[in-house]
Amino acid sequence: MNKQKNSLLRAVMRLLEWFCPDYLYEEIEGDLIERYNKNVKVYGERVAKRKLVWNALRFFRPGIVLRNKWTLNLIPLYMLTNYFKIASRIMIRNKGYSMINIFGLAIGLTGAILLGLWITREVSYDQFHQDKHRIYNVWNKQIHKGGEAFCWSATPRVLAPTLQADFSAVESAISYASYNDSYLFSAGEKRIIKNIANFVDPDFLKIFTFPLLKGNVNKVLENPNSVVLTERFAKSLFGEKEAFGEIVTVSQGEFNIPFTVTGILKNLPSNTDFHFDFLLPFSFIESNYGKDVNWSNNSVTTWVKLKEGASLEALNAGIKDLKKRNTNNGENTQLFLYPLTRNHLYSRFENGVPAGGRIEIIRILGILGICLVTIACINFINLSTARASRRSKEVAVRKVNGAIRYSLVTQFLCESVLVAISAGVISLVAAYFILPFFNVLVQQDLTLNIKDISFWLGLFVIVVGVGIIAGCYPAFYLSSFRPARILKGAFAAGNGKNRLRGLLVTFQFGFALTLIVSTIVVFQQTIFLQNRDSGYEKNNLVYQYITGDLIKNFEAYKNELISTGAAISVTRTSSPITERLSNTSGMKWKGKDPEDKTVIERFYIDEGISTTAGVEIILGRDMDIAKYPSDSTAILLNEAAVKAMGFKDPLGEIVEDSGIEWHVVGVVKDFVLTSPHRAVEPIVMQGCKFGPNMLNVLHIRLSENLGVKDNLKTIADLHLKYNQNYPFEYYFVDTEYERKFANIESTLTITSLFTGIAILIGCLGLLGLATYMVEARIKEIGIRKVMGSSVFNIIKLLSTSSLKPIVWAIILFSPGAWLAMKWWLQSYQYRISFSIWVLVAAASSILAIAMITITLQVYRAARINPVNSLRSE
Amino acid sequence: MELLGGFEELVLTMVAALKEDAYGAAITEEIETRLKREVNLSAVHVTLYRLEDKGYIKSSLGGATNERGGRRKRIFTITSAGMAILKTMREARLDLWKLIPQLKVSGR
Repeated sequence: MNKQKNSLLRAVMRLLEWFCPDYLYEEIEGDLIERYNKNVKVYGERVAKRKLVWNALRFFRPGIVLRNKWTLNLIPLYMLTNYFKIASRIMIRNKGYSMINIFGLAIGLTGAILLGLWITREVSYDQFHQDKHRIYNVWNKQIHKGGEAFCWSATPRVLAPTLQADFSAVESAISYASYNDSYLFSAGEKRIIKNIANFVDPDFLKIFTFPLLKGNVNKVLENPNSVVLTERFAKSLFGEKEAFGEIVTVSQGEFNIPFTVTGILKNLPSNTDFHFDFLLPFSFIESNYGKDVNWSNNSVTTWVKLKEGASLEALNAGIKDLKKRNTNNGENTQLFLYPLTRNHLYSRFENGVPAGGRIEIIRILGILGICLVTIACINFINLSTARASRRSKEVAVRKVNGAIRYSLVTQFLCESVLVAISAGVISLVAAYFILPFFNVLVQQDLTLNIKDISFWLGLFVIVVGVGIIAGCYPAFYLSSFRPARILKGAFAAGNGKNRLRGLLVTFQFGFALTLIVSTIVVFQQTIFLQNRDSGYEKNNLVYQYITGDLIKNFEAYKNELISTGAAISVTRTSSPITERLSNTSGMKWKGKDPEDKTVIERFYIDEGISTTAGVEIILGRDMDIAKYPSDSTAILLNEAAVKAMGFKDPLGEIVEDSGIEWHVVGVVKDFVLTSPHRAVEPIVMQGCKFGPNMLNVLHIRLSENLGVKDNLKTIADLHLKYNQNYPFEYYFVDTEYERKFANIESTLTITSLFTGIAILIGCLGLLGLATYMVEARIKEIGIRKVMGSSVFNIIKLLSTSSLKPIVWAIILFSPGAWLAMKWWLQSYQYRISFSIWVLVAAASSILAIAMITITLQVYRAARINPVNSLRSE
Repeated sequence: MELLGGFEELVLTMVAALKEDAYGAAITEEIETRLKREVNLSAVHVTLYRLEDKGYIKSSLGGATNERGGRRKRIFTITSAGMAILKTMREARLDLWKLIPQLKVSGR
């Protein structure tokens, strides 16, 4: 007879006992055993057992179960109402205690709800597409000679049509492009400039589920002169007028072409990584400018939808060497498919293998949420056990009156669930009101989905779960009291319990400490980044896109900008000085190691970048096309580029790029082009060889004599004069530069917010504990004072024991906090070094906070006249 | 008078037949051996309780045996109402039998 079977039998019998009316149970069990014994003789033990289980389970039928309706349901229900009644009375009587419990939990839960909303949003990114499991993004993996691999997702335009034509497993393949170009949309009088243009293949809307309000998904982008607008963009172009079927004129550079609106898309949901206001068909560019069949020009992303049941492995093997076969420049690049469903959260690759991505943030947020709720639960546990002495008489009387342990446990769980539910309601309301501010802080647009049943279900499960988890230990602890001892007056909370309480406080404050350390480090890093010298003069510098007639009127516009005194200097560039245009590892220079794959940024300018942007020339001279006509193929290097290229004397050196030999005329001091988080990239500023096509951004250094407002007014007037079809849109470089800090700033707000919450919850708990400790030792304090102890001595005595867990928290959690922040700083190339003083500062601040909290309570008690505390016994 | 279902009548008959030995397991056993018919224990129990509700049988807790792990039996005894309905049903059945032509019966 093995034990497992026996325990199954026991479980079945237990179940039977549970649903069977008590007065019938004995004879039914007896009959079952009798039959079992008969069956053993006839069929053998195994079969008999099986039959027993079956026979027993068959008793679960209305004829049996309904017989105990009255005995089983009524009494527990009656008791349950009683429990809730007692619980609410106790809550109301101990207002301070209930407040600490409920508010502590409510704060923790509010934080958890907000984080939960955020996490659900992040996890839902692009998961709404039908057949999402068949949609893949094509990635590149380049393997360098040393075996190191590098992955990216930009692919050549020609890839999608090739996949579609040559691979039977592909249902459809499309290119999706976001070009940084100024496109002017005009409908009637209304004109809007968009600086990002999105081109797609017609199947785009068949792969991705962006529902059309108007238009036929099968034909929507068939015609080269058709355009699909989002509802929002259509509204801003056409107002209340129907946009579908109307004509929109799109102008870019030289062309002015009417497009028919063939589709209106429902506004894109916020949980997608696709951002566009309009979609233009590739066929438009291709019928006008020809097809881009260059396999080395990675200008689009490619998306593939597989046929149902098609093998991903086979297709991956098929496309692996596609690029190698079609290029002959020895580029060792492999293609592979990466699922759409993992695109948002897992799109960081390290050395050719997926290495997380946004999911890391999500995990951190998740841990943060769980910790918040945990420390709130700890408060509940600690306070309930600390004030156990108050409830001990109640427990004893209940036990004497015949309460069994089970019913006491139920009673205490009811209490904790009641506290949790109150906290849940408060936190829901709080979350509702805080959400708009939270959205601003974290730059999201989260919503409380109150129509969603799963939201309520999740919330209910969490709240009741928190109530049960927090209430479990106190319930078993409180219900374990021996009535005889308590009623004799021999109650004393054991020391063992204090140790557990200390441990929990240690965890609470360790968590708070970790958060404080994070806040300090993130704060330092933010300041460090913001104080970084950008390498150019951001103030009084604006840029605009060169559009429409401005291309041909540029010289006149420029001259007048300067002659009116509005601008000191203007420079045309290929991209705003705050953004990258393109980069390459393909530049060649004398003495370059053929294995050197250093990526170098391209930045085209015409002239005068040092006066316009304030970039400092440290060697040679700035470009001056009027004085030196050969400057059209001149380049300026930044210091990083000089270093990367290993030039001893850079002036006069030749760098080859795009088939042109560029000569170095100057070196500029390093400046921040892409991101202040990163080390300065090598930048090559190339001359105006490619003409106005490459130079579509105009940087204007405003004169400081007049106010910015007046200057801009002058410029706007000039713009109207020279480019009347386009609205005047301009950007301040300093504002654009500020945006680069958005991410770290929101990290800073989040960490400081949750640090505040954690400290608040921890202190609430500590305050509660101190209150009860003081209460329990009030006579001791009185006696000590009578014996001549000073107030200070008493404070010292009581505070040291309470501060011990906090000292432990500092000792135990500091190394973890240190490692965590080291890890976080790794993601910044330009970063502070972690100083031990951060830990010291965090530790002393948390000690100070704890000390203040405790001392406030203790001081009050120590001041009490011993006559008052000792008078009654 | 309310009539009994087939299975109820069978169980009631068994209670009457087994006298002091009429309890769930025994009745099930008897039905199985005599009628060669699979009966579930729980079905018998439920029927017994229903008959008790209707007042055709009454019960009392009886002796415990080793065989049943020391659990007591619930012994059912038929009441006069139960006897009466059993008789009524038997007579009704016999009346019906009489309607069947003799030939068919003798043909067996």
